[in-house]
Amino acid sequence: MLWVDKYRPRTLDKIIVHDEIAQNLKKLVSEQDCPHLLFYGPPGSGKKTLIMALLKQMFGPGAEKVKLENKPWKIDAGSRTIELELTTLSSTHHIELNPSDAGFQDRYIVQEIIKDMAKIRPLDAKGKKGFKVLLLNQVDKLSREAQHSLRRTMEKYSASCRLILCCNSSSRVTEAIRSRCLNVRVNAPTHEQIVKVLEFIAKKESLQLPPGFAARIASQSNRNLRRAILSFETCRVQQYPFTANQAISPLDWEQYVSEIASDIMKEQSPKRLFLVRGKLYELLVNCIPPEIILKKLLSELLKKLDFELKHEVCHWAAYYEHKMRMGQKAIFHIEAFVAKFMSIYKSFLIATFG
Amino acid sequence: MRKRRPAVVLLSSSEEEEGEENEPLKPRSSRSAIAPRKRSRAGASRKASSVSHPKPRRSSRGVKAVKIKIDSGLADFCEGLEDFHMAPENTLSGLQSKEGIQLWVDKYKPHTLEELAVHKKKVEEVKKWIEDRVKAPKEDFGGNRTLLITGKTGVGKSAAIHVIASQIGAVLCEWTTPTPTLWQEHMHNSNLGLRYMSKLDEFENFVEKSRKYSLLHMPNSEGSRKPVILLIDDLPTINGRAALVRLTKCLTALTHSTQVATIVLLTEYCKTESADSPTHHYEELESSLCRVGASKVTFNPITVNSIKRTLFKICQQEGHDVTADLINYIAKSSGGDIRHAITSLQYCCLRPEKCFSWQVSACISSKLESNDSTPVSISSKKEGEDAYDALPLSIGRDETLTLYHALGKFLHNKREITDQSALGSDTILLKDSFLRNPLKMDAPEKILSQANAQGRSITDFLHENVLDFISDEAIDDAWLVISYLCEADCLLANVVCSTYLQTDGIAQSIASSIAARGVLFGNSHPSPSRWHTIRGPKLWQIEQSMGLNKNQMQKESFQRYPYNSSEVSTEYRPRMKWLSSQTSHDAVAQQNQVLYPMKADDHTDSVSSDGLTEESEDEIEDC
Repeated sequence: MLWVDKYRPRTLDKIIVHDEIAQNLKKLVSEQDCPHLLFYGPPGSGKKTLIMALLKQMFGPGAEKVKLENKPWKIDAGSRTIELELTTLSSTHHIELNPSDAGFQDRYIVQEIIKDMAKIRPLDAKGKKGFKVLLLNQVDKLSREAQHSLRRTMEKYSASCRLILCCNSSSRVTEAIRSRCLNVRVNAPTHEQIVKVLEFIAKKESLQLPPGFAARIASQSNRNLRRAILSFETCRVQQYPFTANQAISPLDWEQYVSEIASDIMKEQSPKRLFLVRGKLYELLVNCIPPEIILKKLLSELLKKLDFELKHEVCHWAAYYEHKMRMGQKAIFHIEAFVAKFMSIYKSFLIATFG
Repeated sequence: MRKRRPAVVLLSSSEEEEGEENEPLKPRSSRSAIAPRKRSRAGASRKASSVSHPKPRRSSRGVKAVKIKIDSGLADFCEGLEDFHMAPENTLSGLQSKEGIQLWVDKYKPHTLEELAVHKKKVEEVKKWIEDRVKAPKEDFGGNRTLLITGKTGVGKSAAIHVIASQIGAVLCEWTTPTPTLWQEHMHNSNLGLRYMSKLDEFENFVEKSRKYSLLHMPNSEGSRKPVILLIDDLPTINGRAALVRLTKCLTALTHSTQVATIVLLTEYCKTESADSPTHHYEELESSLCRVGASKVTFNPITVNSIKRTLFKICQQEGHDVTADLINYIAKSSGGDIRHAITSLQYCCLRPEKCFSWQVSACISSKLESNDSTPVSISSKKEGEDAYDALPLSIGRDETLTLYHALGKFLHNKREITDQSALGSDTILLKDSFLRNPLKMDAPEKILSQANAQGRSITDFLHENVLDFISDEAIDDAWLVISYLCEADCLLANVVCSTYLQTDGIAQSIASSIAARGVLFGNSHPSPSRWHTIRGPKLWQIEQSMGLNKNQMQKESFQRYPYNSSEVSTEYRPRMKWLSSQTSHDAVAQQNQVLYPMKADDHTDSVSSDGLTEESEDEIEDC
């Protein structure tokens, strides 16, 4: 088992990083009912941990007994039937699903499947009518239509079910949904917090941490706790008695992106663009989300860039990121950004060096 | 009317000599002549060929002559039309009472070698081949008893064989495709316990029999023992690899061991129909047959002149008044398909509407007039073709293009080389950066519709290939092109959501037109033209394997703990890969230490796992 899973706090009391939020949530749940919740925050900040601990708080250990189901659904949508396969993770009290996996058909999931699940109302032990929790991941990736129908579902079935939504950025969730939920913002942990967690793990694993090593991992982790723990574990495997200046291996795809960036800086020509396209394809094949590629690529390029160009390049990155969301095939847009960058950079080079 | 007849014959034949040149120049009256029906066909053709001789002509004078003649010609034409109103009644009623309306294609099937519109040499070749085999049936031709005739539709493959066979006096023994089985029939049959036999099975049976029993020293063999030719015209439909292999095997076996002259007709399909890929099948069949020693004759599309000749003949025999222009037009638009040409002609004669023929002549003459200012030396042939292209007629086969052909047009981006300053006077003022030379092709939308291209595939293909065609200096162009492709992609993205809406089609065509025009406009510095292969979009492969990876990842991630997919792919997977490679190294090392005296297969095992880990490390590096 990975340390990330092993040392994940299971109850709200044990939470180290966002203990304040945890305490508030505990209070919230202890009073009978809870509103719909929307957790948002950058990756690796502990949203999911909070949610799972919250569920445990609400339903007791029963919430941890989950089973995985991969069920085909047939949805009657007017003129045709849509067949979907959806993976869900459910306990007796809650169901977790990833509606955005269905791509552009996500609204059918929201409309039909969630409705279906929300209708069935469990009885709790005392014979009182309880409620069920639906946990939806990556709500920000839902299409607009899906979010609208989600809003309707929320209102209609609020008597029998609670929705817990989880996403990275609340700005891509419609106002209608945000106002119907209690928003819980989960910040990225600070370096100190990460160091604290790493030290905690080291103590549990009875490892000797040289001074400053944890801080270095934390600073490389981009304030992502999950990444910090993962790279901590990798370092452990790499070389055990830690040395203070041990190399922390970067992620392979990040390395690859920075390679692409240096390719772009070296030569600006259609041929080079074609080469870059091939490399981008490789990243995409490995399911690295295109937005993340674009973001990382931009930050790598900015590192090497002259000051006066930064503004323009950022502008175009934003422009193509937007286009990418409107469009269908990400490669077109990433490539367009690369081409634009090349064209800007080349004319800059010509202007400065003649 | 009858007096004019010789003139008509002469005209038609002189046209043969001179090609497309200047037909419109003839006085209208002479063109609208009706030949008597009662003349025998052979006689007509002989006469035609005897009278034919080239007629000297000066085109510059001719052009002027036409200008004058247009008015009088029109009057003449109307007059002719009045005549016509009576004519159909006679002919039609006469026809119907005798034999009913018959398709001209059948009615005027060639019966003699002279009547064949196929090129003489080809006919001779085939005829000689058949005669050789028929006359000396015992002689060994090195196993070469099979003739493969290929050609597009309607170039007279079957007709040529039939005519030649009847000339030689051979009996054609044909494989006729059995009637297709309907589903209900099939159900009925299978209920009765009859086994379904595919058409391919039946064909195999037929071939088998004809080989074993050397066909057919046949019922009619009591008599004069006519030579027999086996004709396979209609190959059974094949679907998929396995069926193709069977058919090829069957045909090659036939080629090897056939006792009688065998002729296989293969229709070349236009490449555009290759969506369901009969093209590949056809090519493979052809090559495999040639490999086992079948001789091959390819029939080319029939020339415009010989189609015209045939059409004229038919007109004479039918007694229809059809202008030379129209015949010319039909002949050209048929694309070498004589069957189609004859059918079109019949269609035209069925409804000789006033505007119909009038449009032709008006259009052509106006074209000529407009060209009057330009030097006449520009080949009038080309202009003539332009005129035909502009005709809004509903006959003729529309030209089709293959997807690759269309892509080639867009990517190569051929433009007229003109002087910018000359254009400057009458164009709207554009910045220099927006000025482009005129395209050397039809409008992109027309090409797109001819290629029947879907927006998505056009965009993807262009995206895949366009960078090869941009000159190496011009990164700005590359950006411009790709940004247009981006727009097209955005348009197409909305299409998917509403596949059943009508607006869809519009979005699709707009997207493909943006993609095509974007590529044409953006690539202002095309790289010097050289041979580029056009690749299929790699994107499609990528998407496929991406989907697979994603599915796998979803399964993995849900098995352990619910993460969302982007976290898994960006953080867990790389680390896990790395960790697993490390631990397997460790495991191997440990194994080596602990169980030092190992069995041989254990050893190989460790080696192979070692290899694996290295591989996976490599993967990490390149991905």
